[in-house]
Amino acid sequence: MSAFLQATIYGLLQGGLLALVAVGFSLVWGVMNVVNLAHGGFVILGAYVGWEMHQWFGLDPFLGMFVAAAVMFVVGYALQRLLINLVINGPIFITLLLTFGLDLMIVQGMNLVFSADYRSIRTSYASQSLALGSVRVPLGRLLAFSLAVGITLILVAVMNRTRTGMSILATGMDRGAARLMGIRARHVYALTFGIAAALAGMAGAMIGTVGTFNPSAAASFTLMSFVVAVLGGLGNMYGALVGGLVIGLVQAWGGQYLPGTWVNALAFLVLIVVLIFRPTGLVGRKYYAARLEV
Amino acid sequence: MPTLTKVPQKRIFSTLQGDQARRLRPWALGLVVLLAALGLQGQLYSGQERTVATIFMFVALAQAWNLIGGFAGYASFGQVVFFGVGGYFTAVAMSHWHFNFWTSLLLSGFVSALFAVIIGIPLLRLKGHYFAIATLGVAEGMREVVTNLTDLTGGGAGITVPTVGSNATTAYLGNDGFYQLFLGLAVLSVIISGLVARNKFGYALRAINQDEDAAAALGINTNRMKVLTFALSGFITGLVGASYAFQQVTIFPERLFDVDITVLMIIMVIIGGSGTVLGPLLGAVALQFLSEFLRQNFTNLHTFILGAIIIVAVVLLPQGAVNYVNEARRTKEFSLLANVRKYRL
Repeated sequence: MSAFLQATIYGLLQGGLLALVAVGFSLVWGVMNVVNLAHGGFVILGAYVGWEMHQWFGLDPFLGMFVAAAVMFVVGYALQRLLINLVINGPIFITLLLTFGLDLMIVQGMNLVFSADYRSIRTSYASQSLALGSVRVPLGRLLAFSLAVGITLILVAVMNRTRTGMSILATGMDRGAARLMGIRARHVYALTFGIAAALAGMAGAMIGTVGTFNPSAAASFTLMSFVVAVLGGLGNMYGALVGGLVIGLVQAWGGQYLPGTWVNALAFLVLIVVLIFRPTGLVGRKYYAARLEV
Repeated sequence: MPTLTKVPQKRIFSTLQGDQARRLRPWALGLVVLLAALGLQGQLYSGQERTVATIFMFVALAQAWNLIGGFAGYASFGQVVFFGVGGYFTAVAMSHWHFNFWTSLLLSGFVSALFAVIIGIPLLRLKGHYFAIATLGVAEGMREVVTNLTDLTGGGAGITVPTVGSNATTAYLGNDGFYQLFLGLAVLSVIISGLVARNKFGYALRAINQDEDAAAALGINTNRMKVLTFALSGFITGLVGASYAFQQVTIFPERLFDVDITVLMIIMVIIGGSGTVLGPLLGAVALQFLSEFLRQNFTNLHTFILGAIIIVAVVLLPQGAVNYVNEARRTKEFSLLANVRKYRL
């Protein structure tokens, strides 16, 4: 029972982080219909910014992640404004390939600059843990979880309540109509991509604190974002949060009770089953799953 | 079925013979290229021979992807799963069940096609990104399944095809043999693609690509067409995977289910021109040649430069080289900048 509880706690904590990793991915997909294969690259890039801040300025990673967010926002805004907007009306393969090319450049660039060694942002408190009865809660993960969930909720509020957020959602629903209302679609798209990159960067800095990372980990974060975004569903800002927590739990329980590395197949099994039986995801809106690509 | 509306020919000499000659021209050109490829073999030393054999391999893979992704418009992001299934079937059949290579090769093609039917029936109902991601999930999941079936597949430690001694069921083909084998697969894939392109089947797929509901309204059994195409595509990919497994001797799940192989197929098709016969061929040759050149001259930067080239190619030629040339010849609009404007926001 205690092993089950421990796995559950661990799964929830991991799930919160996964939600923050995937929420930007889900936002970009929902608003622009772009599946960003470089998303995992953004996460790792954020982790390196956090690492550098900690290394050179002694900045605590939970503060450094805001620097990472700022840097990644600028990178994301510029990429969308100058590059991805050029092909946004093309068939789906085009944006997929463009972001794949970006991913190759980002990952290989990081390999050249930072080398392929595993790194971790070490703090004095992250490895300590709280004991709740027989269950141990790692402090760093708890902090990361709380921040991740908090930031996701703030994003939801910003999207639904501010003018900027609503203009992003409106552009996602009907770009033509939004432009007629005076919304600058180019700017709004760039803003959306920038926000997504910033969130990915923040998540990266936290991942660097609670675990290790290197450039080639980028691909697995892109895949996890896929799974979480599909499972949660598009068109609902809570989708990524629900999807992340479910996947976190499924993986933790699978790791506890399945032999070998079968747990790795579990996330994909969940993905395929959800796609076949409920393509709108757990809390997504029908419109987004039924939408055909331009 | 969409019918071709014949534009009245103004030329005086447009006789039946002229039409026939025009229809036969691509096949004649193909024959010349085939003979050139066979002639080239004698001029290469063994390292080059392996490189060219890899180009042929990617020609076959790109053509296979083009059937489902280019003609039918279903972006299969897990195409490598057929490569892996074919490769592992051959490896297991040769080492555990002592089949010879040629039997295993053929069976691998059918096993991959069957696998395509099984996953295609539920997944081909999905569209766009959702289909892409579901197939990606299948490929990643299959890699884990193969990794965990340790008794049969050797797991992460790999499986070795017996090529020497009394256990060897078929003698190793060597550089010359694999050159011809992959050339044969490339030719087979081009012929299949060429037949599909001019056949009723191919027109049905193009109709599905443009508007699936309209295609169904015209009486095309869209589900059957899509599943059949997926199976055909899986068949070719499985054959290539089986040949690759025998060539490599020892295979690992990481390599045989590597998502990069899928992405390479897609890039080759897109850069060359999807939905054409010539496009994937040119794309595969150009990209593989370029990649090899970069690997030899810029060892560290090679992936980085490849990424940059993909970005530039996608922005400048989003519809692919062959489609761009066709459109440019029709509209007399050759400017690349005008081309960029088409998909810009």
